[in-house]
Amino acid sequence: MARGFEGRIEQIDENRWRIPREAQKGMRVDGVIYSSAELIADVIDGGGPAQVANVATLPGIVGASLAMPDIHWGYGFCIGGVAATDVEAGGVVSPGGVGYDINCGVRLLRTDLPAAELRPRMKELVAWMFRDVPCGVGVGGKHRFDAKGMRKLLGEGVGYLVRKGLADEADREVTESGGCLAGADPDAVSDQAIKRGSGQCGTLGAGNHFVEIQRVEKVYDAEAADALGLAEGLVTVMIHTGSRGLGHQVCGDYLKALRSAPGKYGIELPDRQLVCAPAESGEGRRYLSAMRAAANYAWCNRQLLINIVRKSLARFLGRAQSSLGLRQVYDVAHNIAKMETHTVGGRPMRLCVHRKGATRAFAPGHDELPQRYRRIGQPVLIPGDMGTASYVLLGTEAAMEQSFGSTCHGAGRVMSRKQAIRSAAGRQIDKELAAKGVIARARGRTGLAEEQPDAYKDVDAVVECVASAHLARKVARLRPMGVIKG
Amino acid sequence: MAKRCETFDHTADVGLSARADTLGELMEALAEGLMDVVCDRAGVRAAEWREIRVESEDVEALAVDWLSEVLLAFDADHFLAAEVTVREASETALTAELAGEPYAPARHEVRTEVKAVTYHQLSVTRRADGWAARVILDL
Repeated sequence: MARGFEGRIEQIDENRWRIPREAQKGMRVDGVIYSSAELIADVIDGGGPAQVANVATLPGIVGASLAMPDIHWGYGFCIGGVAATDVEAGGVVSPGGVGYDINCGVRLLRTDLPAAELRPRMKELVAWMFRDVPCGVGVGGKHRFDAKGMRKLLGEGVGYLVRKGLADEADREVTESGGCLAGADPDAVSDQAIKRGSGQCGTLGAGNHFVEIQRVEKVYDAEAADALGLAEGLVTVMIHTGSRGLGHQVCGDYLKALRSAPGKYGIELPDRQLVCAPAESGEGRRYLSAMRAAANYAWCNRQLLINIVRKSLARFLGRAQSSLGLRQVYDVAHNIAKMETHTVGGRPMRLCVHRKGATRAFAPGHDELPQRYRRIGQPVLIPGDMGTASYVLLGTEAAMEQSFGSTCHGAGRVMSRKQAIRSAAGRQIDKELAAKGVIARARGRTGLAEEQPDAYKDVDAVVECVASAHLARKVARLRPMGVIKG
Repeated sequence: MAKRCETFDHTADVGLSARADTLGELMEALAEGLMDVVCDRAGVRAAEWREIRVESEDVEALAVDWLSEVLLAFDADHFLAAEVTVREASETALTAELAGEPYAPARHEVRTEVKAVTYHQLSVTRRADGWAARVILDL
């Protein structure tokens, strides 16, 4: 449903467009969209700018209502949206600013394996891993957590799995927030959400989620790549998934619970999907406690999946895991709200930073970064479409100054799923991908059609834009070799 | 007018557009439309029954809450609904029965993972000739 933006939008510089505060009634700050001459026309057609303007009306918003170059239409907030609210000044938290798939994110595994060695066996490897990785609609995981286990998992995140012997401390250290957000409250998560989640931890799900076997195609910064364990020609494995049914249910539950909050707190909203409450109110705190629990669940989900991938790969090769150099590079969230301190107008402020389809990109030296990466900055993992590329970037000082330490999260869709299926009619997407050197398997009948490369924006253009705006710097480009989808 | 439900395109997702003579039939049509997105309903037998009761503050919220319950039956309990019967419906409450069976991967074709039922451009309206609704699903 493409809708042009009829409000005022003006170019600031090569990489930024502004929707001035005067453009729409109720806007408290400007909207700022990171984009490029190449991308902006689709952005304006895509319905995102009106949402950037709507978000600018939220109480307590500071700086600007931001959108990254992968901006596209989303529920309430656009995808690619970043909004920070001043908690002490009554700033709100909005479930729509996080989205249904709470802590959807990406984890990257590096290996010592040369791509050339795996290439001839890729079809076999994809079939092998497809059998091992639980994926698709209605498929449960290998782990079942009872009520007590679920409570611990929701409250303690990956730390709980470390204690259970289901995760390595080394993995936990290179996971955003150490794989656990403090302040998670399992009691704020409904029984229905727990029921949806108890059998799904360690499953990929469907839709745009994937496990991808990749080759490091190009390194842009040798020193940083070395620190991350990446070198041209080596194999990496990327996992993209989130909090499964548990997160969807938490979002739905709190959209419902917060329906009456705007009335109660005198907040006027241009869109029902933007329901929100002051972050410090009872309603706001309760949502944040549940959202954090769902985020912890998502980190555990990706942890259990990386365990499966490691084991599967080692068994396929008939070699010990320890001989393959399998080390987690990093794990980032791209649908989350976090309490962070940022400098706004020269003074430090405690903010509730919503990132919806946007990635944290903290600069070198930040004390939230693991020791290993403190010198280079936070790794940022950008999944692209399955026919093109994914990227590894690093956070920058400019991101801290301009975007609350945030950057883009992926390519961003341009086609609806139905459009993609129509455009795939009479084509064999798997064969087209194979011609590009990518072996893909999907559980669902329409999965490959819906996720075909043409359904997405050009990931190279998105990454060029954030690099040019200094919201991140490029370290490596990863080419897909094999893809497993739900 | 027989109840009916069609899908329409929406950005990354899909919407349900339903018409019916009564509010109860409208809610049935929406739930059947939802299940048609989730699975091939023709292959699901009406072997078990379960009752669903929903109360909400207005008719639009009722549609979202109702469809969320139908979705939950599948996602939490793996119950696929083949037939939907609304026993009682007002603008703020609904009692219904789902007839279906537990998901069996060997026999059932499951099509799409529906994450949630959204409020975006949600409408449930009474017209001169009956009821109409539009609901968008997050996939």
